Amino acid sequence: MRNLYLAIVKNRDHVIFIFALLFSSYILLNNDNPRMGVIRGKSAEIVAFISSPMTWVKSLLFLEEENHLLREKNVVLSLQVESMLNLQKENDQLQTMLDFKHQTTLLLQPAHVVNKGIQPNLLSIIIDVGTDDNVHPNQPVLTSKGIIGKTIETGKNASIVQLISDVNYRLSVRILPSGATGILRWLGDNQAQIREVQKNVDISIGDKIITSGFSDIYPAGLPVGQVAGVYDERGSFQKILHATLPNDMSAFQYVFVVIENSNEIE
Amino acid sequence: MFLLLLRTQMKSNRYIISGVAVWLIQLLLADLLAIKTVRPDFLAILILYWAIKYGRLHGTVSGFLIGILIDLSGTASFFGLSPLLYSITGYLSGNLKGAYSKLNPFYFSLAWVGILGLQFFIFCIVQYQDILYIDPRLFWMKWLGTTLYTFCFAGILQVIYPFHRLEPC
Repeated sequence: MRNLYLAIVKNRDHVIFIFALLFSSYILLNNDNPRMGVIRGKSAEIVAFISSPMTWVKSLLFLEEENHLLREKNVVLSLQVESMLNLQKENDQLQTMLDFKHQTTLLLQPAHVVNKGIQPNLLSIIIDVGTDDNVHPNQPVLTSKGIIGKTIETGKNASIVQLISDVNYRLSVRILPSGATGILRWLGDNQAQIREVQKNVDISIGDKIITSGFSDIYPAGLPVGQVAGVYDERGSFQKILHATLPNDMSAFQYVFVVIENSNEIE
Repeated sequence: MFLLLLRTQMKSNRYIISGVAVWLIQLLLADLLAIKTVRPDFLAILILYWAIKYGRLHGTVSGFLIGILIDLSGTASFFGLSPLLYSITGYLSGNLKGAYSKLNPFYFSLAWVGILGLQFFIFCIVQYQDILYIDPRLFWMKWLGTTLYTFCFAGILQVIYPFHRLEPC
């Protein structure tokens, strides 16, 4: 026994190293443990609190630029509203004719990005809303341009968001106007790949990509991106698509969490 | 006895303060230095310095603790990967304690460059396993980008405070 103790003391560097490797592997293999989720939620709150002064300074820096962009967008939107009003009139008339009303309501919770993690690559963010704001794990997160990720851990007033750039992220999408569906995964630099698309469907570059709705998390119709390339896989019944994602992953400050989705068909 | 305790206390305080300071820099400022989605990893450089100064035991323990801190600071997938990687970095770099006088400076530099490169390689192989399968060239570009950016900062630090000025404790 004494010899064993002496051997451990003598080789403590190696013993500690092996212990560190085993313990890290244990944590790595128990990622889904609910107790781990509680700890991560709490730590996200602490990080959000520490990061808040820096976030405030950053938002001040971006304020002028953002104001300019918003004014520009306001003009564009006003023009669009005019044409939309005309289109709505026409749509109402057509719907009355069909006796069909389809209403989609999404309840969005705006959030501020307080931290983008400290790993050498951007794979997750922390936002300043949590269970107090009705935000729970597995809710879609998007910007005004499109889907950016989903919540995975929530604290009382902070949540961790798994970004579309994470290796474990997949999204079921639909390509318009063909209606073909596929599974999207991130490739890098606002590029993504869509697999499992039927070969006989007609798809062109520039086609719109939206969420398919074949998911418990993402409602149908959320914008995702545009088709940038169509490739036929030899010896397979599937097509491979390359897509451009509209969000600049390195520069976004505000996001929206879809906290409620009700599709009602009356 | 009291003086010895005080000295140990001061030493550990310095250790903790420098660790927390670098963690705060990484947390609050690394994003301002980001090129697209790639950011420098100051904590990996800190562990390298600590391990070369204090040895394998300190390197492994501090690597593990800092890894836990990194993952708690917000990671979506693979919680536990950072302590694993930083422990390896700390352990391997600890072998370089006092080695500068024994080794050719070129081999010494090659050793720490290799250790950092290995850390980022394991990180990329886990995080970008899909990309390696789809487009190997893109994977290697990602690894190179992540590694080189941190090397730039490690290189700048080498000019200001080179490893050979670290006195082994």
